[in-house]
Amino acid sequence: MVGELVPILVLLAVAVVIVAGIIGLTHLFGPKHPDPVKLSPYESGMEPVGEARTRFSIRFYIIAMLFVLFDIEVVFFYPWAVVFKKLLSMGSFILIEMLVFVGLLLVGYLYAWKKGALEWD
Amino acid sequence: MDLSLPVIHIQSIYPQMILVLFAIIVVILPLFVHNLKRELLALISVVGLVLAYFSLINLWGQNLTGFNGMIVGDNFSIAFSIIFLVGAFLAVLLSLNTVENEYLNYSDFYSMLLFALVGLLMMVSSTNLLVIFIGLEILSISLYVLAGIRKMRVDSIEASLKYFLLGAFATGFLLYGIALLYGASGSIDLVEIGKYIQANGFSGTFILAGAAMLLIGLSFKAAFVPFHMWTPDVYQGAPTPVTAFMSAGVKGAALAVLLRFVWTIAPLSKADWTIAIWIIAFLTMTVGNVVAIAQSNVKRMLAYSSIAHAGYLLVGVLAGSQLGQASIMYYLLVYTMMNLGAFGVISYLGNSNKQENLNLRDYRGLGFKHPFAGLAMAIFMFSLAGVPPTGGFVGKFYLFNSAIQAGYLWLVIFGVMNSVISAYYYLRVVVNLYMHEPEKEVAVPKASLGLSFALLIAMVAVLQMGIMSSSYFEFFRQAVIAMP
Amino acid sequence: MEQAGYAFVDILIVLAKVIVVIGINLLMVMILTLGERRIAGFIQDRYGPNRVGPQGMLQPVADGVKFFFKEEVIPSKAEKVIYVLAPALVLGPALLTFAVIPFGGPLSVVGKEIQLQIAELNVGILYIFALLSLSVYGLVLGGWASNSKYPLMGGLRSAAQMVSYEISMGLAVIGIIMITGSLRLSDVVMHQNELLFGFLPHWNIFLQPLGFIIFIVAAYAETNRVPFDLPEAEPELVGGYHTEYSSMKFASFMMGEYIALITSSALMTTLYFGGWDFPYVDESSLGIWGVLLSIIAFAVKTGFFLFLYLWVRWTLPRFRYDQLMGLGWKVMIPLALFNIIITGVVMSLL
Repeated sequence: MVGELVPILVLLAVAVVIVAGIIGLTHLFGPKHPDPVKLSPYESGMEPVGEARTRFSIRFYIIAMLFVLFDIEVVFFYPWAVVFKKLLSMGSFILIEMLVFVGLLLVGYLYAWKKGALEWD
Repeated sequence: MDLSLPVIHIQSIYPQMILVLFAIIVVILPLFVHNLKRELLALISVVGLVLAYFSLINLWGQNLTGFNGMIVGDNFSIAFSIIFLVGAFLAVLLSLNTVENEYLNYSDFYSMLLFALVGLLMMVSSTNLLVIFIGLEILSISLYVLAGIRKMRVDSIEASLKYFLLGAFATGFLLYGIALLYGASGSIDLVEIGKYIQANGFSGTFILAGAAMLLIGLSFKAAFVPFHMWTPDVYQGAPTPVTAFMSAGVKGAALAVLLRFVWTIAPLSKADWTIAIWIIAFLTMTVGNVVAIAQSNVKRMLAYSSIAHAGYLLVGVLAGSQLGQASIMYYLLVYTMMNLGAFGVISYLGNSNKQENLNLRDYRGLGFKHPFAGLAMAIFMFSLAGVPPTGGFVGKFYLFNSAIQAGYLWLVIFGVMNSVISAYYYLRVVVNLYMHEPEKEVAVPKASLGLSFALLIAMVAVLQMGIMSSSYFEFFRQAVIAMP
Repeated sequence: MEQAGYAFVDILIVLAKVIVVIGINLLMVMILTLGERRIAGFIQDRYGPNRVGPQGMLQPVADGVKFFFKEEVIPSKAEKVIYVLAPALVLGPALLTFAVIPFGGPLSVVGKEIQLQIAELNVGILYIFALLSLSVYGLVLGGWASNSKYPLMGGLRSAAQMVSYEISMGLAVIGIIMITGSLRLSDVVMHQNELLFGFLPHWNIFLQPLGFIIFIVAAYAETNRVPFDLPEAEPELVGGYHTEYSSMKFASFMMGEYIALITSSALMTTLYFGGWDFPYVDESSLGIWGVLLSIIAFAVKTGFFLFLYLWVRWTLPRFRYDQLMGLGWKVMIPLALFNIIITGVVMSLL
């Protein structure tokens, strides 16, 4: 089991070297002529207005929360899907189990939808 | 890979399934049918409760184990479940009153109440610590929402947030305790852990630390001193039906888990931690009662009184006998009735969210203006104080009796002294109701039928349990956990 | 392997595979940057870059060199550490993702069987999803650390979009797992290495057409490509999350994105189009030629999907953001759940 991961470690080492190399080299080679205007935030050439650390739409938070919920549900599907074929030979219990699970998932989904959590405007 | 389906006995969770189904109906139906009255939603919830009750009765005496031992449908769990069902039923009736008309969303309220009940039922009907934990989470998360359901009010939000933060903290303790017990014994099932302890003794760092953390986690939930700090604020801020349900339900579930734990893991005669429970019981009774004296807000006073009652119940745990178990169940049922009733009267006398009439002074003279509510409040207060013809007296008698038989004479003496202290602040309410002239005009709207019905049930039950206690007690005698 | 642990020669083989895979990936990135512009030129009836080298072949090299010698601007208001780390967080996981994709049939050299796949994990599909969801960190942190408005909006948009479509992508793949009964990608490929009804290749596309449609749409959204390129929509957000980036750090974002294209094309090939399977031919009987054939089959299929990416980019308009989220949440997720139910029911009936 651990042996299977050795190639990943090798790949990881190579990837780290490449990424660090790319970002390091450009730091070495590039010219450096900083001036205050160049280093100011880009706003289409105008003077920057206000700060970028402002509030943004609550929708993003809702999406994030829904994502956590639904992604967990998706994760629950994976082990089920792996054993699905094997357990199918023992009757349709596993199918009914999934239908119940999907049903409950759909109830939550319906609730979120009807409550307007999925509307963007 | 060898796969086989476990033995399921799906009927062992029929009550939970019915409740989940109705919770879903209550929350989904209003999304499609607009302008549903809350009375209808309450009715649907009550139908669910009744169906769940019959499926519970159906399980009585069968001693089913379902889901490979994860669900235990013994009489112990059924008796506790019935007590919780009664509590939820009264809470639903309480919610119909005018003062509760500023919830954000009634479908959410009833659905969360039913889900909380599912959590309670899960907690008491398993010996598997992870299932207990999941039940506790279902319960707690629903209660966090319920405590904050009056979203436009600051104190409701405060209650919700405080309960959430401290509850999450307590959950951490509980889970860590479970992890340590698992690490030491190699099982998350209380029975298996019990066998391990039988073989190896109640010792070793992991077992001791795990048991202690489990105790701390449950103490937070049941509001035992010194883990009671959240109780007054949460009880005061949460809507009255929720407070009432919480005070009886969560306490009961935590005690049930504690009983199972004590009974299967560490029969108290052999364990060293009786002293810990002794101290907690003593502190809980004393702190609850002494601080309650100083309260002028009735809801806050009842919050401290509920802490004190948790202490009385703990005396039964300490007794460590089947008599103690039956006494706890009996007292819990009485407590559910009288406490929900008392909160019901508070709800009855409230006008609107701006004017809840929670101060003791608001109660002056109301006994004559509102004879029904006054009588009910008087009976509940007498019962809470433990005055003879009521169920509260008999319950306390059973509890203290079981403790004396187990040899905890001093604790019982302290308990009786506490009861005397408590009589002072309980009877003060009655004095205010009947022996003072009203200071100001208190507007009380017409009470809903549901609330009056709930008060009537609670009143009759409290009196009946006081006068004809033996039939109830015999029922609970059949529900104790068998000797390990 | 004969003995436990790794012999020296095994490490060498792994290293060789790693270098070949990363080399080909980086080469493909260069080809794609050129191809994208040449195909854009072709579709829009104009020349693309055609001056540097024959037919503009050396243009990517020129671009690369130029990127290295460009000034590196770190805005004075930026959170320096995260700002520098963000492109690495995009490029790094992208490079790692290819590890579990089998790009050819098993190769036998002097009695040693070599899998043409860097790591044969039994959780291959999970590994890929784990790394795919990591790349969102790079975009969001890059957008946030720039401390500028356009990048912030781009980062937020990309986060919301990628997490939304990740759900339907994950659900779409479940159909494949149900059919295969394994999370191992080599099992997925071997399972498709037969014939269906005697005449069709046993590719999952024929068993999971709906799943494939969901997967490809979600993959386009995950890689922030047209028609889902809202996070870097030039007319609205200048450049989105990489507005403030310059020189090779900007190029790292670009490379990460192109490698993600390659990976997702390879993934579509592997999951739905038989992987390295060349239909109607038993590769294992052809020895070294069979292996070569399988690699070519894999390359051709992957190349087709890469071309599709470019083709779509210059053909379709862009979604509006509310349409994008609506599609993701209200259409894709129910369809994906429906796909699972259908798959389950059909499998239990057969």
